[in-house]
Amino acid sequence: MKTNRIAWLVLSILIAEPLAAHIGSPDVFFQGDAGPYHLVVSIRTPQMVPGVAEIQIRSSTPGVKQIKIVPLYIVGEGSKYPPPPDVLLPSKDDPQFFSGKLWLMASGSWQVRVEADGDAGSGTIAVPVPAAARSTMPMQKSLGALLAGLMVLLVAGIVSILGAARREGQLEPGQQAGPTQKRAARFVMAGALMIVAAVLAGGAFWWKTAAANLSNRMIYTAPELFVSLVPGDQMLLRIGDSKWHTRRPDTVATPLMPDHGHLMHLFLIRTPQMDRFYHLHPMPDKGGAFLDDLPPIAAGHYQVFADIVRVSGFPDTLSAQIDIPETTGKPLSGDDSTASAPPISADSQSPKEASGASAKDTGSVKDTKDAQANLISSLPDGTRMIWERAPGPLPANQLLWFKFRLEDTNGKSVANLEPYMGMAGHAEFVRSDLSVFAHVHPDGSVPMAAVQLADATLAKNAAIPASSNPPTTTEMNMPGMATGPIGPEVSFPYGFPKPGLYRIFVQVKYNGRVETGVFDAQVK
Amino acid sequence: MAQTVPFGISAPSAERTRIAAQATSIPWFVWSGIISVSSICFGLYWDISWHMTIGRDTFWTPAHLLIQFGGILAAVTCTYLIFSTTFSHDPAVQSSSVKVWGFRGPIGAFLTAWGGVTMVTSAPFDNWWHNSFGLDVEILSPPHVVLGWGILGVGIGYLVLVVSAKNRATGAVRAKLTWLFLYLAGLGLMLHMILISEYSDARFMHSAVFYRVLMLVTPLLIMGYATASEHKWGATIVASVYMAVELAGLWILPLFAAQPKLGPVYTNVTHMVPMGFPVLLIFPAFAFDLVRARLAGRNKWLLALVAGTAYLLTLILIHWTFGSFMISPLARNWFFGMIYFPYQEPASMHQLAYQFEKYEPTRAAFFQGLGLAWVFAFLSTRVGIAFGGWLLKVRR
Repeated sequence: MKTNRIAWLVLSILIAEPLAAHIGSPDVFFQGDAGPYHLVVSIRTPQMVPGVAEIQIRSSTPGVKQIKIVPLYIVGEGSKYPPPPDVLLPSKDDPQFFSGKLWLMASGSWQVRVEADGDAGSGTIAVPVPAAARSTMPMQKSLGALLAGLMVLLVAGIVSILGAARREGQLEPGQQAGPTQKRAARFVMAGALMIVAAVLAGGAFWWKTAAANLSNRMIYTAPELFVSLVPGDQMLLRIGDSKWHTRRPDTVATPLMPDHGHLMHLFLIRTPQMDRFYHLHPMPDKGGAFLDDLPPIAAGHYQVFADIVRVSGFPDTLSAQIDIPETTGKPLSGDDSTASAPPISADSQSPKEASGASAKDTGSVKDTKDAQANLISSLPDGTRMIWERAPGPLPANQLLWFKFRLEDTNGKSVANLEPYMGMAGHAEFVRSDLSVFAHVHPDGSVPMAAVQLADATLAKNAAIPASSNPPTTTEMNMPGMATGPIGPEVSFPYGFPKPGLYRIFVQVKYNGRVETGVFDAQVK
Repeated sequence: MAQTVPFGISAPSAERTRIAAQATSIPWFVWSGIISVSSICFGLYWDISWHMTIGRDTFWTPAHLLIQFGGILAAVTCTYLIFSTTFSHDPAVQSSSVKVWGFRGPIGAFLTAWGGVTMVTSAPFDNWWHNSFGLDVEILSPPHVVLGWGILGVGIGYLVLVVSAKNRATGAVRAKLTWLFLYLAGLGLMLHMILISEYSDARFMHSAVFYRVLMLVTPLLIMGYATASEHKWGATIVASVYMAVELAGLWILPLFAAQPKLGPVYTNVTHMVPMGFPVLLIFPAFAFDLVRARLAGRNKWLLALVAGTAYLLTLILIHWTFGSFMISPLARNWFFGMIYFPYQEPASMHQLAYQFEKYEPTRAAFFQGLGLAWVFAFLSTRVGIAFGGWLLKVRR
């Protein structure tokens, strides 16, 4: 079926997943150079903001004596006055490992300034941290029972005390309460009980209302994404409103800015098999919408993920679903890429083989075997991507390094990869139920545009002349940008947020082609 | 201390006990109450300032510890009072107590103990609330209100303890106890004023909501305490204590250097930020005292109507003018405190402090609000008269 036949048949819709910056993957992983020290930073953001995040930093350069952190907004009025830094505590076992707590007192686009001091001097990096409340915590049954018990005790207590006060309180010492006092006391107790009951009922109503209002105000919801197909094999994307965003005009809801030279990174994944993958870059259209010239697309039901970054540095991953018919489209061009692979499977993650494809080619893949615990994704042009995975299970909620290398048709590691949109590589981690989607780079899980904004504030603080214009991100000035030859190994710091089956799409550029390795991972 | 006049003289047994239960010196628990309630009140003021200046990064701030100390002192005092009364063999002690669940003790001790347990109950509730909805998102949250009820229990409990000792005392001891009662009452009023501080800001002084909120409870407290004190200037003294403590906070706290510990920092704070200038309650309270003196012994509803009306009118007359002064540049100094802003407040918002907020959208709504304030003033004063009358009769 051709796209244009069903042209304005439109399917939109969207599952708004409750998480900013990626979907279901709120933790921040980042690596960078604080002056002479190479630091790897993990930040576990709190479920509710305001709340306390946990931060862990490891220096791979020896000699770090002290690490201090300062949280502040990247832009706006809250970015002007940094609070005094907190000192992280070094580990007893590993002197180059530091950990501590980080107070995030409001949702928005934060940066954590990390200052390392040591033998080789000092240096600072800025780590962007998008903070957004994810969910409220239901009351544990035991706590509920305790509070209910205390409530009964307190109600009985105050009623009894008021009764006693009426019965005996006004009697001269030594006098006994007579029937009049006792009757009056019973009357007072009945009245008090009614008043307390009314107060409790009012309190319960208020509690319910206040809790609902707070949840509504605090908990992040991604803006809706409306996706439709239009004649000419094009996809129209419109970003809806989100009150959560508009309530935070300075620290969140600012205009979009380019990340890796694109205002939007669009990912289409055919579900449920996850056997087709497209990484596209729609262009801005009138009315704030985006339009994409679709490449040839295999028919199916697709999950849509759209990554955007705002001038505040706050990222959103929008999501929707759409049925796409077989589409002729236009040949892939620019930074667009695609891959095809066998359906996601828990078996393919065992130490044997995965499969993949390359840009501008969705040919079939051929299996081979690797002696080690590595996984291999054979690409249509004869190259192979190897996941140099350590043997053993993959744990959730832990920083892991994902190392990949490309082998040419002769089985030789490729040491001259080219930057793909300014980066040595891009990796997308997607859980089989689509509840997790994370777009990660070798520098970490935060958008490079946000890193650039945070870096600009660092430069300003360091009295380095900074441009008075808002920074614009292009491939040419991205922080962490790969410049020289890349390879043979490309690695990504990331931690799976929960156990389950994941598919990983790893993208590097070689010989002018985007090579996409596809791997499956069972996370314990 | 409830004490030891010998039983020797020939009087009926009840009369002997009554005399025996008279306080001939200030009972020790009164001092405990003064320290406890002062700690809670000063701690609370300090804590609010801490939140506005530094941010709450731990439960164990000095201000929190001062509040906890007050609570613990109250709990220990009252537990001791209840147990020592329950197991006492002294008929004078036993006879000046009430019985609750088999225990004997002064009513005030039971109320204070209840307040202590309520304060403790609020802690796990508040902790869960913070985890679930964020740290200190708002002051008026359900767990904070439970804490407020607890503090109220402790405060009222001590007031009842002191007033019952006063009611049983005579002569110089009674006079001293009256002053201590008025001091505690002033702190009680301050606790309430802290609770409604959101609405007692200068920018609401030309809106009906300012008067409406102030008429809800302040006439009750001031009239109640004044009546119970039997002091000619009871109302004026209670309001003066509240104002004096808040003024001390306003003038002393900014002398201490401090800076925010938690971002985002919107205002570059360098010293402790105090709460605002207190509401000039001394004037309407003075009106209360004048009306009390003039209408002493008359119908209580009439007293409530006249006193409540005088209270509201005085407050409007004073604060309408004072409001204009407070938003003017003349008040932007350490004395009136219109120069202090919490670190969470963006500099772009500071100007709002110098503008009246039109809380009621129409003139009709404004006058409706004032009418409601008048009804509140009347009813609140009437309840205060009854409350004061009850306090006056407490003997145990």
